Amino acid sequence: MTAYFIRRLLLILPTFLGVTIIAFTITRLVPGGPLEREIMRMRQAQAMGEAGGSAGASNIVDPTASIPSRSLDQLKKQFDLDKPGYEAYFLWLKKICTLNLGESYVYREPVWDLIAKRFPISLTFGLTGFFLAYLVSIPLGILKALRHGSTFDVFSSGVVFVGYSIPGWAFGALLLVFLASGRFYDVFPLGDIKTSTYEELPSIVRNMEDLDDVTDDFGTFEWDRLSLLSRIIDRSYHMALPVFCYMMGSFATLTMLTKNSLMENLGQDYVRTAFAKGLAPNRVIFVHTLRNSMIPLATGLGHALSVLMAGSYLIEWVFNIDGIGYLGYTSILGRDYTVVMGILAINTVLILFGNILSDVLYAVIDPRIRFE
Amino acid sequence: MSSAPEKQDTTARQDSPRKPLLSVRDLEVQFRTDHGPATAVGGVNFELYSGEMLGLVGESGSGKTVTALSVMRLIPDPPGKITGGKVLFEDIDLLQLTYSQMRRIRGKKIAMIFQEPMTALNPVFSIGMQVMETVRTHEKVTRKEAFERAVDMLTAVGIPDARKRMGDYPHQFSGGMRQRVMIALALVCHPQILVADEPTTALDVTTQAQIMDLMIELNQKREAAAILLITHDLAVVAETCQRVIVMYGGRVQESGTTEHIFNSPRHPYTQGLLRSLPGPHQKPKSRLNAIAGNVPSILDMPTGCRFCTRCPDVMDRCHREEPPLHALANGQLVRCHLLEEEAT
Ligand SMILES: Nc1ncnc2c1ncn2[C@@H]1O[C@H](COP(=O)(O)OP(=O)(O)OP(=O)(O)O)[C@@H](O)[C@H]1O
Ligand code: SF4
Ligand SMILES: [Mg+2]
Repeated sequence: MTAYFIRRLLLILPTFLGVTIIAFTITRLVPGGPLEREIMRMRQAQAMGEAGGSAGASNIVDPTASIPSRSLDQLKKQFDLDKPGYEAYFLWLKKICTLNLGESYVYREPVWDLIAKRFPISLTFGLTGFFLAYLVSIPLGILKALRHGSTFDVFSSGVVFVGYSIPGWAFGALLLVFLASGRFYDVFPLGDIKTSTYEELPSIVRNMEDLDDVTDDFGTFEWDRLSLLSRIIDRSYHMALPVFCYMMGSFATLTMLTKNSLMENLGQDYVRTAFAKGLAPNRVIFVHTLRNSMIPLATGLGHALSVLMAGSYLIEWVFNIDGIGYLGYTSILGRDYTVVMGILAINTVLILFGNILSDVLYAVIDPRIRFE
Repeated sequence: MSSAPEKQDTTARQDSPRKPLLSVRDLEVQFRTDHGPATAVGGVNFELYSGEMLGLVGESGSGKTVTALSVMRLIPDPPGKITGGKVLFEDIDLLQLTYSQMRRIRGKKIAMIFQEPMTALNPVFSIGMQVMETVRTHEKVTRKEAFERAVDMLTAVGIPDARKRMGDYPHQFSGGMRQRVMIALALVCHPQILVADEPTTALDVTTQAQIMDLMIELNQKREAAAILLITHDLAVVAETCQRVIVMYGGRVQESGTTEHIFNSPRHPYTQGLLRSLPGPHQKPKSRLNAIAGNVPSILDMPTGCRFCTRCPDVMDRCHREEPPLHALANGQLVRCHLLEEEAT
């Protein structure tokens, strides 16, 4: 089995290379890349500078025509387009090995910093969503299995079905309208991850904090001056709805998986043996059956690694959160390829290690599994 | 297969009015089906005496497992329910006990082993844990004592190197070895009764013989004082049991000593079963399939005698009236109208 895991670890490298080479090739082949964009931008600036009236004509001119070849070379160099593809790729790879992800074309900032800045946001949302989903789904699934066919089971199946059919972001939009817009209720904030003015703070926090303590000399509200408790409350208050949306995604599948898996195991022969031994029902269910039912769920647990970089663009967009999902999506649209490649590289590594972790958990929980 | 030496003393036991260890009275079990409630077994009566091996035979679907599970109160509910009768053990009706009282009987006083050794053990726990668990459920012992008890029992059922194999998982054992582990976890608390539901059906012939020998040995050593052996295999019954119950259509059709049942069967069904047995020159390995037709499902059981759809001696009244159990002078019980005709 050790040999199997060593082999899996060794396979990470070629898989990583494969994925990144494909992505890199795509960035080179897809039209409208960073170079064209830059040229467009420069031409537009030029046209604006010359004269507003005749600007329309320049649209039909050869895009490279009006750019001096010297700056064109410079641009190509900037985007590594002056070298053949494989050379540029190896250059990127070399930098990656020193954890240098390059600089964003759009933000003019190291990609690493861009990601690092958003990392805590993704981490909190990803991890809370992930663990809350397990925390809610497993007990719910167990209860549903034990009360199979009861009103509770039927009703919760309805809820699960709704959760399964409505995408998280759409549900988020609904929640915002109902609970945050003030049209119906005004319980939650409209978005962002923290409150920006003293007045908008949740009343519990406002009652705990004195205005003078949390504003600077010019009377501007400073969130960081809030006490730890207030910050936690304010964060939770902002995170509640988006986290709920993140949860919705895995909640339905996890609940049904737990229920079905437990039901299936409750019908197994070994359960009858356990009862025949005189074990208490709780012991039969929570020791004998549950361990077996957790086998399919353990597989998913390995993917906890990839939630470190989680971020759904749509949910972030609905809740106005500047997270990794939003960054990734806008970088693709804006052909900000260093950012795209950086996020892709990190995600690939996390997913590959997550898969191996899943296998390890699988082997730990089920003694029959012996990977060869 | 060694033959049971106590077979000779069965007549003596028969004569002495000993008190039975277990006595099942008018047991009735129903299952809820899509077409309403259906009676799987009804009017089941039998006694199990201390020290004996009692055979329970009958074709597939005749209600053997349902009867055995009722004794343990392990009928899956829903869809099943014990709707009538008594299961008397040590003067108490097990059917009247509370759930937690019954729990203290299971595994401690009455134990059960099942047909499928491949699936009857929990795949994710070591066999040591599973055997120790029975001890620790019923007796206040330390972990270490439980461990030693498990090792001793596994050795007694013939697991080589038992101490070393305590940490092994079921999938690391062969079918026969797993059935030995099952027997160990059933007997580790020295129950008075062992209910064995087709313990060898899923095994190959050689292993079958070994497991049966083990059961006889354990029975003689009083590890399991009384054994209710459910089986398809009449040859096994002839060699191991002192008394036999023949079931069909959820009813006890005939019962008596092995000698009487095999030498002078009175019920047409028993006679049919015995005809299906291979002769002395053939290998004793044939299923009970010589009777024409199939066991009716519990949903379309005939109203009169359960066997009337397949009986070669069927009469008019068989379709109308279910015969009662007739008691013969030798203690044999037979549920057939023919005996009444004979008497009159
Ligand atoms: N869970 C159940 N639901 C519905 N009917 C059942 C159930 N268990 C048993 N029965 C019915 O009860 C009848 C007796 O079944 P039982 O399992 O006792 O037969 P058996 O004699 O043990 O047969 P086999 O030799 O195949 O084990 C069968 O007709 C079956 O249809
Ligand atoms: S009662 Fe009738 S049908 Fe039933 S076994 Fe006897 S003769 Fe056959
Ligand atoms: Mg059966």
